[in-house]
Amino acid sequence: MPLSLGYLARRAVWSLAVVVGVAVLSYLVIILSPGDPAAKWAGHPRGPGAARAVELARGELGLDLPIPVQVLNFLRMVLTGDLGLSIAYRQPVYSVLWRNLAATLELLLVAYAIGVPLGSLLGVLAALNRGRRIDGALQAAGTLLANTPTFWLGLAIFASLLPLGFAAYGRVSTGLALSTGFRPITGLYLLDALLQLNFPVFFDALVRLLPPALAVAAYPTGVCLRVGRALMADALLEDYVRAAAAWGVTRRIIVWRYAFRATLPGLVQVSGLAFAYSLVDAMVVEYVFGREGLGRLLYDAVSVSDFRLAVGLLVVVAAFYLVVNTLADAAQALIDPRVRL
Amino acid sequence: MSWGGERLGSLVGRAWRGSARFRAGVAMSLLILALAAVGPLVAPHPSEGMGQVPPDAAERAGRPPSLEFPMGTDSLGRDVLSRVLMGARLALVQVGTVVALSLAVGLLVGVLAAYYRGLVEAALTYATEVFLALPAIVVALALRLALGQGFHTLVLSLILSWWPWYARASFVYARSVVEMDYVLLARLAGVPDRIILLRHVLRNVVQPVLVQAITDLGSVLLEASAINFLGLGLEPDAPDWGIIAQNGFKYVTSMPWISLFPGLFILLTALGFSLVGDALREGLDPRLRRRWRLWF
Repeated sequence: MPLSLGYLARRAVWSLAVVVGVAVLSYLVIILSPGDPAAKWAGHPRGPGAARAVELARGELGLDLPIPVQVLNFLRMVLTGDLGLSIAYRQPVYSVLWRNLAATLELLLVAYAIGVPLGSLLGVLAALNRGRRIDGALQAAGTLLANTPTFWLGLAIFASLLPLGFAAYGRVSTGLALSTGFRPITGLYLLDALLQLNFPVFFDALVRLLPPALAVAAYPTGVCLRVGRALMADALLEDYVRAAAAWGVTRRIIVWRYAFRATLPGLVQVSGLAFAYSLVDAMVVEYVFGREGLGRLLYDAVSVSDFRLAVGLLVVVAAFYLVVNTLADAAQALIDPRVRL
Repeated sequence: MSWGGERLGSLVGRAWRGSARFRAGVAMSLLILALAAVGPLVAPHPSEGMGQVPPDAAERAGRPPSLEFPMGTDSLGRDVLSRVLMGARLALVQVGTVVALSLAVGLLVGVLAAYYRGLVEAALTYATEVFLALPAIVVALALRLALGQGFHTLVLSLILSWWPWYARASFVYARSVVEMDYVLLARLAGVPDRIILLRHVLRNVVQPVLVQAITDLGSVLLEASAINFLGLGLEPDAPDWGIIAQNGFKYVTSMPWISLFPGLFILLTALGFSLVGDALREGLDPRLRRRWRLWF
């Protein structure tokens, strides 16, 4: 297997270093922007307890200490998973984040399970017909899908489903979840419902998930269509394809087992890159569909200037991004024998 | 300026002749540029376009598209056409500022890292990786809390998350240029670093990165309007397409036209830049030029 534990260990250390960098940066944003850092950390409190809250925040950040010590203090808070209570949710920041990250992850995974295969297949279709009209049409469709504003697409889907009496709002019907005794385990509701063999909740969650997932899937579909078409067109011109054709290997085997196989590493790489980009799309679409998730947090954090949540979000999203990149590279090493990590 | 051994004119000319999508992209981009230039002059209600609520708001609110209001009016009675027209210039100013400044920072970092190696390279690579892990929308939240709403927050958050892409790309190109013999010879001849960097390295790196930047104008607009849509960027009355779509969000079933038209314009602009950039990139890359069909 061309993937070594040493590589993964080095990658983990490097990722940790990057997360530390992100945390230091977010601390500098709190300290260096105009205004009292303690008041910011406390969420600009108002009312009778305000002065005490600011004093507490001053203690947490250690604002009378030298800056490097403050940064180290703050890093300890970030890395031990204790950023205090989120002001918007009155719960520990990290537990709010994990719960919502699971919701966003579920949306992204389903969207990619739709978008990547669909886009790749259409890309193969375009490459097999390159130069013909259908190729031009498919490529145009790919560019269109990759350039549609996702929030707008989500709005359009949402608005066109409503008159059909289809209110796909939220993640799952609360009444249904309560009456069937559904309990979240992993936070991925589809998986949780399957684990509990709770099919009503599974279908309810799926039906609510599909419309936003389609909106998020537009981007990966477009990207995979375009990249898949380019890679496949290259692969079809390779000598080994010509040799196979000369040997009389059937078309189906040449296309799928020889040419398409060669496009897989490239498709995996580009999907990994797009996945991180789609995180933004997922956040916006969640907001449109009123789903729980990281997008909701963005919105809720602003209204009460929840700095702790913002910092936690930066750290968690950066970590998420690094994990996805590592997984994409590892997957590439596993399917492409030329890549050794 | 030499563009990979050929003049820019011939690159554009070939793209123009060879690709209908390039011609369509140029047409869309020119349309948006024209709107940005004359938008404020031809908008029927410029003050409403800038967000002012008209005096007869109550009776004008929520009108569907008609001859008087070709794109309808929003929930506060403002003419959506005027708002969308005023938005063209704002959209281009936003993406132009973001891409230009990100390019400047990214090119500088990438070229310096490739040229100086050692500690400089390590530090700059680390910085690039850190910023690469930060999506603009989350940076926008932090800056929105720290600096408040406005143009500066939006532009800064996008620059912070876009420059590393250019740094990474220009580092790759610059690294291959730095290893060329003429750079070594220039160094041995005692040419100052500043001159080598500007005249020999940067010049050969700018071109492919610049072509990428044209495509990115569209991607930046998509991201900027998403940030504005969530209310993390510009002020709520700014004539930004994302904000106009946000204004229509609450009324999406009763007044769908408020969100429909600004979204179409975002799509049109992003598509135009993307088509132009992609066709130029295909023209630059000889591998992508092959179009013939031999066996399949």
